[in-house]
Amino acid sequence: MLEADVIQYRGFRNIERDGKAVGFQICVRSDYYRGVWLSQLRPGKVVVDGVTYPKEDVIWEINGKDHTVAELAEAGGEFWRITDVATLKIMKDGGLSQGFHDVSVRFAASCSYMPPFLDQFDEDGDDRSFNGGTYTRKNMIIV
Amino acid sequence: MYQYDRKGPKRGVALYSYSAEFGLTKTLEDCFEDVHDMGAHGIEILANTHIANYPYPTDEWVENWFRLCDKYEVVPVEYGNWIDSHVLGDRDLTTEESVAMLSRDIRLAHRLGFTVMRTKMPVINDLLEPVKNWREIIKGALPLAEQLNIKMCPEIHTPSNLKGKLVTDFVDFIKETGTKHFGLNIDFSVFRTEFKEGEWVDPNYTPNAPEDIIPLLPYIYCCHAKFINMSEDFRETTIPYPEIIKVMQENGWDGYLLSEYEGADKYDPGYEVGQTLRRHHVMLKNLLGD
Repeated sequence: MLEADVIQYRGFRNIERDGKAVGFQICVRSDYYRGVWLSQLRPGKVVVDGVTYPKEDVIWEINGKDHTVAELAEAGGEFWRITDVATLKIMKDGGLSQGFHDVSVRFAASCSYMPPFLDQFDEDGDDRSFNGGTYTRKNMIIV
Repeated sequence: MYQYDRKGPKRGVALYSYSAEFGLTKTLEDCFEDVHDMGAHGIEILANTHIANYPYPTDEWVENWFRLCDKYEVVPVEYGNWIDSHVLGDRDLTTEESVAMLSRDIRLAHRLGFTVMRTKMPVINDLLEPVKNWREIIKGALPLAEQLNIKMCPEIHTPSNLKGKLVTDFVDFIKETGTKHFGLNIDFSVFRTEFKEGEWVDPNYTPNAPEDIIPLLPYIYCCHAKFINMSEDFRETTIPYPEIIKVMQENGWDGYLLSEYEGADKYDPGYEVGQTLRRHHVMLKNLLGD
């Protein structure tokens, strides 16, 4: 079962290559009530301890496959189920330090049945919209 | 497969009601068990939510689906699907692409034993008008729907009005084509008369009287029994349920009323929507006399 918060404690760790940390990953669930086609996603920025990583720096792994945000926009035939997490991967030499971190992830899902004036999302902003927003979880631990 | 033979309006539950709990504290089977507790025999699922591996469930999942229906005496009534024409950011799906998406859902609905689909149309404005090519999309899918005996039903939801252009256009389409495989799902939000002080009400909204549903009954294949507030003595305080049910019974309507709760409080920590649904089913059971 998933954790109730969008940002999951489980799955938060450094990404290692050849024994060295080369980045970190954050798992999120969708708090929308239905799964979405990947092109419906409106991915935004990730902020860790006050450092902003623009959406272009984030790789979304869904169903075991990596996608850049540009690739997500084209992936209208692939589906993210609400019972699965997406793993957000960010490359960073050395990864994150051992200990506590405050994490924010911003994303939303576009929706064909909402009037277009409501179906808007500012990916770089901080507002909440009907279909998404900025999710924050504090004191996440890197072991 | 389980059959429920009662005639007239019947009780069911839209599993969307469990949106704050499904996948976190409740499995699909937990939802079925809750519905069974209430003595309801119909269910609506959302394809994109409740089917594992949607849109390609495994044979094992489908086998388990029918096991759940039998064990909990539940009829698969309505399959919620979306024509997601705006799924790509930079262009709308073509008519052919939309028909292909819809056809895939028709096949899957049939495979799971459903006979009605709540087919959500993509909209283009704040009057909830559907995309311009909706007629072509539906016509493209009608032969398959006929072959598999599936009725595609857009949902008529506030602020739409039963006498408004949206409904008139759908009814005209049904009359022109003579089809029995495209109809309506009426969401009872169109009958809502009471609002909290200071609550925002869509300026496009005018409540319908219960009898406004009468001319549409031949085209209605199921309803979303929307409810907003159930009192401690089991009355819905915002929608005139006794009058609506009476009109439907007196005019010989046969089908499922699928309880749907979408109050924002269901996302409060610890909220159990099953209790809210049970209150609604006390009222429906008494009104229907089942």
